[in-house]
Amino acid sequence: MNGPVRPYVITGGRSRPTRTDLAIESLVSALPGPLGLPEPPALPEHVLLNREHRRILGLCHSLLSVAEVAAHLGLPLGVVKVLVGDLWDLGAVQVLPPVPQAERLPTTLLEEVLVGLRQLR
Amino acid sequence: MASANSAEAPASRPSGPQYLPSSVQGAVKILVTGPFGVGKTTLVGSLSEITPLRTEETMTAASSGVDDLTGRGDKTTTTVALDFGRITLNSRLALYLFGTPGQQRFWPLWDDLSRGALGAIAMVDLRRPDESFDVLGRLEEQRIPFAVAVNTFPDTPSYPEEELRSALDVLPEVPILYCDARDRRQSYDLLIDFVDHLHRSSLLELQP
Repeated sequence: MNGPVRPYVITGGRSRPTRTDLAIESLVSALPGPLGLPEPPALPEHVLLNREHRRILGLCHSLLSVAEVAAHLGLPLGVVKVLVGDLWDLGAVQVLPPVPQAERLPTTLLEEVLVGLRQLR
Repeated sequence: MASANSAEAPASRPSGPQYLPSSVQGAVKILVTGPFGVGKTTLVGSLSEITPLRTEETMTAASSGVDDLTGRGDKTTTTVALDFGRITLNSRLALYLFGTPGQQRFWPLWDDLSRGALGAIAMVDLRRPDESFDVLGRLEEQRIPFAVAVNTFPDTPSYPEEELRSALDVLPEVPILYCDARDRRQSYDLLIDFVDHLHRSSLLELQP
């Protein structure tokens, strides 16, 4: 698959991620494994790893946000969400969801952001 | 980033990914919004530890209502560019700053972009404040905590705060802050003042 391809072709016609909780600031990194890829039997029928899936796995050997993945690969955000969702379903990547989801009180979180910014100023 | 005209210049092509430390456990985000040319990308660039990146989101909307002059109910697709930057706050936490267009036609994207955001910085150019009315109204409707950030271009007129507050029609609890978005120090002070405001508001909410 060389050259430009319309986004819906890359995602197999899907425009929604299989996991709805992927945000643009969710952090992604490939999980170790054979070539960072799952064994073929783990692949659901409708999902075949395409070139863009492999590019994501190649890029994400360390932590990057979904937005950074999209920017570095030159793909629309929506497409990257679908593809990262596939890789997540397959257990090929770990995804760290955005922070302010119940695990920390906003006040504590805001204080942590504030302290961090003041130190960097 | 020397002139106001570069405010919305395309972010540089990525030179290569700058990865987060593996100790980072999650990220938070703040939106930087406002009309075209107000200096969103400049502010993001002054604050970001990485060269600001650009990504695109495709927005598909059924062209119903006022825009549908054909009567065929076709879908329209618009591409929206988002410039963004990053600050690693400590070994565990990263902050992303997303430059988000404020014009009404981009609102279908807002639900997704604003979900989970700590808040939004609404930039205003006082030479054309009316261009910010849409976005200020939208932030109020969506109940996103925000501050007004006046980008102080060299020929920005100055007004007493009460006059400005009344002209922009923002509530007393919304801070009005000033900043030359080209200046890193001023941009940091702006961001710190905003997060400080969010923090103090959250403490007030905790009180019985």
